[in-house]
Amino acid sequence: MEQTIDVFAQLLVSGLLAGLLFALVAVGLTLVYGVMDVVNFAHGEFLMLAMYAAFGLALLGLQPLVALPLVVIAMFFFGIVVYRLFIRRLLAGPPEATVFGTFGLLVLLQGLAQALFTSDFFSIPNRPFAQTLHFGSVSVGAAAIVEGIGALVLTGALFAFVEYTETGRALRAVSEDRIAATLMGIDVGRMNAVAFGIGAACVGAAGTLLMLSYPVYPRVGADFALTAFVVVALGGFGSVQGALVGALLVGVLEVFGGFYLAPEIKMVPVYLAYLVVVLVRPQGLLGRR
Amino acid sequence: MKTIARDRNVLTLIGLLVIGVFAAFGVRDVVVLDLLFTLLIYAVLGQSWNWISGYGGNISFGHAIFFGCGAYAAAIATARFGISPWFAFPLGAAVAAVLALAVGYPTFALRGHYFSIATIAVGALVETFVKTQPYLGRANGFELPIANGFAALQFTEKWPYVLLALALFAIAQAATIGLERSRLGYYLRALRANYGAAASVGIDERRWKLIAFAGSAVLASAAGVLYAQYTLFVDPSSTLALPISIDIALVGVVGGIGTVWGPPVGALVYVFLAKAVALKLGGAGKGYDLVIYGALIVAIAAVRPSGIVGAAIEALRRRRAVREAGG
Amino acid sequence: MSEPILRVRGLTKQFGSLRALDGVDLDVTAGALTGLIGPNGAGKSTAFGCIAGALKPSGGSILFAGTEIAGMAYHRVAHLGIGRTYQVVQTFADMTVLEATTTGALMRHPRVVDATAVAEEILSFVGLADKRRQLGRALTIADKKRLEVARALAIEPQLLLLDEVMAGLTPRESQAAVVLLRAILARGITILMVEHVMEVLMPIADHVVVIAAGRTIFTGDARAAVRDPAVIEAYLGPRAAALHG
Repeated sequence: MEQTIDVFAQLLVSGLLAGLLFALVAVGLTLVYGVMDVVNFAHGEFLMLAMYAAFGLALLGLQPLVALPLVVIAMFFFGIVVYRLFIRRLLAGPPEATVFGTFGLLVLLQGLAQALFTSDFFSIPNRPFAQTLHFGSVSVGAAAIVEGIGALVLTGALFAFVEYTETGRALRAVSEDRIAATLMGIDVGRMNAVAFGIGAACVGAAGTLLMLSYPVYPRVGADFALTAFVVVALGGFGSVQGALVGALLVGVLEVFGGFYLAPEIKMVPVYLAYLVVVLVRPQGLLGRR
Repeated sequence: MKTIARDRNVLTLIGLLVIGVFAAFGVRDVVVLDLLFTLLIYAVLGQSWNWISGYGGNISFGHAIFFGCGAYAAAIATARFGISPWFAFPLGAAVAAVLALAVGYPTFALRGHYFSIATIAVGALVETFVKTQPYLGRANGFELPIANGFAALQFTEKWPYVLLALALFAIAQAATIGLERSRLGYYLRALRANYGAAASVGIDERRWKLIAFAGSAVLASAAGVLYAQYTLFVDPSSTLALPISIDIALVGVVGGIGTVWGPPVGALVYVFLAKAVALKLGGAGKGYDLVIYGALIVAIAAVRPSGIVGAAIEALRRRRAVREAGG
Repeated sequence: MSEPILRVRGLTKQFGSLRALDGVDLDVTAGALTGLIGPNGAGKSTAFGCIAGALKPSGGSILFAGTEIAGMAYHRVAHLGIGRTYQVVQTFADMTVLEATTTGALMRHPRVVDATAVAEEILSFVGLADKRRQLGRALTIADKKRLEVARALAIEPQLLLLDEVMAGLTPRESQAAVVLLRAILARGITILMVEHVMEVLMPIADHVVVIAAGRTIFTGDARAAVRDPAVIEAYLGPRAAALHG
């Protein structure tokens, strides 16, 4: 009996840590959706870009934690540029335009990665935090803890930003009622760009942290993207808090699934969870629409 | 009213079929025949995608599962049951239709992107499922037994395959031409234009989209059967994986969504570019073709979401409207 | 008096904390034209939406030809025989006039050939036949409204709901609209019109229902409505009512 509790505790801790990282990935996606009603199907590819960037910086001697602020800032501006050059045009078209457009971006970025970096897997050499720590009967990789804490800190910073700063409040206003926000004098176009930039920045941070324990390859984005979509749907499209709750749930589900079922099918409970959400409560746990 | 015989679309189709038949019989080069076959299969797949994503407006990122239904149906029929692969057409179609209904039923009633994400999720689920079943060959897949003759749907030469693919292409195009003129076609257009107003004239969105989606699934499944009989091998990565779904969507988007000739044009662009890149850059070229498609789609989405053929049609329409208003 | 074709009792609708409808009663007699009017914010559009099936009421009953339709799915209400137009025209922008009308006709005539024939007849009836090949987006506002009426008529409804169909029309266009409405009535179709301005309804409405602040405050004929103190108060305020009365 004690053993099962130990196993349970182990899985729970691992799951929550993984979930925290998923939260960081998903929060950007849900913020963008809340503010401009766009599901960025290339979100996973932004993650991949950030991972390659972190890898590149590591080759130059910059450890991921040091490189983090650089990647975040770079991704923020990347997001703004993508918005200004492209997403903004999509918003003027029919609703499918955003799906096609971000899909095209997905193909373009994946192709670029394949062409420039080949399909090889790249890992950071001399990974820091390679030790395993023990807390009683629970063993956790130091990297996983750093990733989890990093993700928590950044997600918390994002919450604080959205909740307490003027820009954050403006973002929430646009998210709730675009027309009212315009009438209040908020520059919706600018808010859209900021939201998109923040979304990219979040994924930039997540990608950099991920390099502590993951390899990067052209398809890595696709693997995480679907999880991100499930998290967002579970939490409720547009709800930042929902993304956190959903991510923790998914993280735990995935880790438990990987242990009790075979590792190849550990994602199955996650995908099934999405379908259940769609059937039972499409607006997600904390969603409004 | 235009009669069928004078319809531009029908005439184009007949013209293409004549060319195709000549090509199948006349061309000796195996590489060209292989290209033709691939082109036709992709045109059919793109057209099937077009039904739900182009005409219907619900973008599917999981169409490979229907293709896989047909391919695996053929493989199972011949390798596991020893029956003629012709049975795979109805079998694969049935499974594909059921899958389509299962995915569409909860999601077509919702606004937003639930459907698109569900297609990715179900695609991943199906692929994972197949990878765990020894009966289905797991991740390595399995081969189809060698046979010969029409009844076994296998031939030693390539040209009969091209002819069959041509026949399937003809069916797909004819069905799409029919779709545009049918009640379903009108309803899908109305739903895309304004789903609220469509409901006000009695259109049940979910019912009609399910019909379109199921039809789309059956068509894709048929292409899968032919494909399996051609390559004599099925595995998840060549028939079910996400990249296959993405390729299918690509073909549909580049050519022009919601048009009869969009998918064939898209397939042409796709096959041509893939071949050109492979020739110029060999193995190292992997990825460059994706860059070009991606850039094409990005450009099309930003400038004119209706794609190449769609843009041409819009231009024609505008010219005709100007003529009619002035005349 | 025959049984009303539409009978609304105690209709309520809550949007979060906003109580848009607080007990609306309404009777529509078959074959007649009933006007639903009220000042801005009275709840006309909300009531209209509930009857048409676009909104789900929070409470109350809507009986159409004996069937309870409150909360019924939008497309099913159409199948039962209620057609509607929109205050802000919802045109099928990229469909031609004929195609849009045919779409409506397909509800009762599944074959496209039959539906097109029905659509042609309706387009002649409303006066859009010569514009049949024009795209929806290319029409003038008046023609868009006409098309919307044609599309609604194409489903062969028993009851036609018109949402501020007169808004934005020139006097000449309004006169033409009145002619069309009379022709529709002559076909045996019942009309319920939502309007903002009383004068518009006076010449054509057999019966008028006035709502304010989500409640019915008057039913009767149009002439009596303009003299009713409650109605005056709702439109112009309590002092005007005192002055007039």
